[in-house]
Amino acid sequence: MPSFVVNYVRIVDYLSTRFGRIAMYLIFLMIGTLLLDAITRNVLDIPLFWCVELAQFTLAAYYIMGGAYSMQLHSHVRMDLLYDRLSERNKARMDCFTAIFLVVYLIVLLIGSISSTIYSIETNQRLFSMWNPSVVPIKLIMVFGISLILLQAFSTFFKDLAKVRGVKLV
Amino acid sequence: MSYEAVAIIMFGSMLLMLLTGQRVFAAIGIVSTVAALLLWGEGGVEMPFTAAFKLFKWYPLLTLPLFIYMGYMLSESGIADDLYRMFHVWFGGLKGGLAVGTIGLMVVISAMNGLSVAGMAIGATIALPEMLRRGYDKIMITGVVQAGSSLGILVPPSVVLVLYGMIARESVGKLWLAGAIPGLMMAALFIIYIVIRCRIQTHLGPTVSEEERNLPMSEKLKLLRAGIVPFLIFFFMTGLFVMGVTSLVESSAVGATSATLAALVKRRITRKVMEETIRKTLGVSCMFMWIILAALCFGAVFDGIGAARAIETLFITNWHLTPWEVLIMMQLSYLFMGMFLDDTAMLVIVAPLYVPLVKILGFDPVWYGVLYTITCQIAYMTPPFGYNLFLMRAMAPPEITLGDIYRSIFPFVLVMVVALTLVMVFPQIALWLPEQVYAK
Repeated sequence: MPSFVVNYVRIVDYLSTRFGRIAMYLIFLMIGTLLLDAITRNVLDIPLFWCVELAQFTLAAYYIMGGAYSMQLHSHVRMDLLYDRLSERNKARMDCFTAIFLVVYLIVLLIGSISSTIYSIETNQRLFSMWNPSVVPIKLIMVFGISLILLQAFSTFFKDLAKVRGVKLV
Repeated sequence: MSYEAVAIIMFGSMLLMLLTGQRVFAAIGIVSTVAALLLWGEGGVEMPFTAAFKLFKWYPLLTLPLFIYMGYMLSESGIADDLYRMFHVWFGGLKGGLAVGTIGLMVVISAMNGLSVAGMAIGATIALPEMLRRGYDKIMITGVVQAGSSLGILVPPSVVLVLYGMIARESVGKLWLAGAIPGLMMAALFIIYIVIRCRIQTHLGPTVSEEERNLPMSEKLKLLRAGIVPFLIFFFMTGLFVMGVTSLVESSAVGATSATLAALVKRRITRKVMEETIRKTLGVSCMFMWIILAALCFGAVFDGIGAARAIETLFITNWHLTPWEVLIMMQLSYLFMGMFLDDTAMLVIVAPLYVPLVKILGFDPVWYGVLYTITCQIAYMTPPFGYNLFLMRAMAPPEITLGDIYRSIFPFVLVMVVALTLVMVFPQIALWLPEQVYAK
């Protein structure tokens, strides 16, 4: 494989792992925020109105930023009725072909996220609540996460292509 | 082209995409994206991301990653080992007693967690190897673990019912309570089946030897202490929620924390355990969230072409079906689709089509939620596509083959169909408890 492909795969895999592992720890933020909410309201009688919304933002960041890493970990189920009967090489061949579906879906998702973010910035869109937070930060994180998955999809494609050709990549 | 044709083509192409073995979320995502673009041109570009923002607003789904985390934590915490020992001694004397005990174990685990992952992990690592060692029939016990762990989504708490509650706009508290008695009833039916079968074919489930279970009564009673921690977790999580002290999402945080504390007290938490738990949690959560994300887009397209109205017309105006025939039709179609398509996606796509119809026909949507969940349980286990099948394949000891797994579920699916029929014919099985609690 040409060296720029090798470098691309290395860099993208590194980035996905890094950000995915940051996202991984957000589970504690979600648990902590909601627990804080439960305790302050029931035990201390101080209702915190921003907790659920913060947890909601965290959840979106969690699965969107963790998306690329979870793809690396092969966490996404496949319907393997026919797929499972293929040899490793033919599986890679199939994935190379169907990668186009994944990529097109992600591109449309990305276009939508960018235009939605621009709209939010222009209109200074906020959640309608007591806390009234801006949705711009989370939308920026979503744009970033979706881009990362798209980059990761190409990286996975290159790895499958290498497998089809029987060469070692990275 | 008529909208019915569009709907059929979308379903067909989704099935085709899934057969290629591409990731489920991508297969659903691309079909809905292409359909949106073809139907509405440039206006359709926004649809996939609009679904992402709809998902953002479904904040009760916070329970999903938290329950997944809790499930892995419970299986690491060692709570299950003590429980298993308790059931082992108390039921060991019965023919097939360990299998009965495993169902008991699964009910307790189900009462602490809202998914089948925890029960499956515990069943496959603790109960299965032990029963194999004692000469239990491997096909029967594989079925026991799969069927037992599927109770996780029926016995409260339940993530499937949270998802259903959001789609049908019903109270999650009511739905959870509605699942309690049917869940226990189903467990009882499993036990009856096991006991009868082992009485007729004694080689399937030999009794545990005398000396092993002949402990003094005081020892036996001491073993019951294993039930204390699960009870406390159940009380702090589901109990406080039903009493209205904690909100739904808070209760799942309480559950996650209590499982972590239980594991800490038992000194089971090491760096490696923690790292594995949160990594697997991320993986499984991302898998579910991305499937729901893609399925929401699919559902939005269906909504756009008025599929709910089309189904109503088809069933009521064209086919002249009675309400009960419609209900049975819906369950059958869901069972059939659930075999081939992803179950979570099915829930997100099909429930919005069926729930309005259920309301028009005058059925109780809470009751329907329970029927839906039981159907979901069956779909989790039936090949070729089911989450419990996947998990079982990944976790089962090597002597259990794929053929064993497929064969094992058959009798249990029959028992589940019996349970489904019972709840259909006697809605009070589901509705009595929520009516008692929420009437006051």
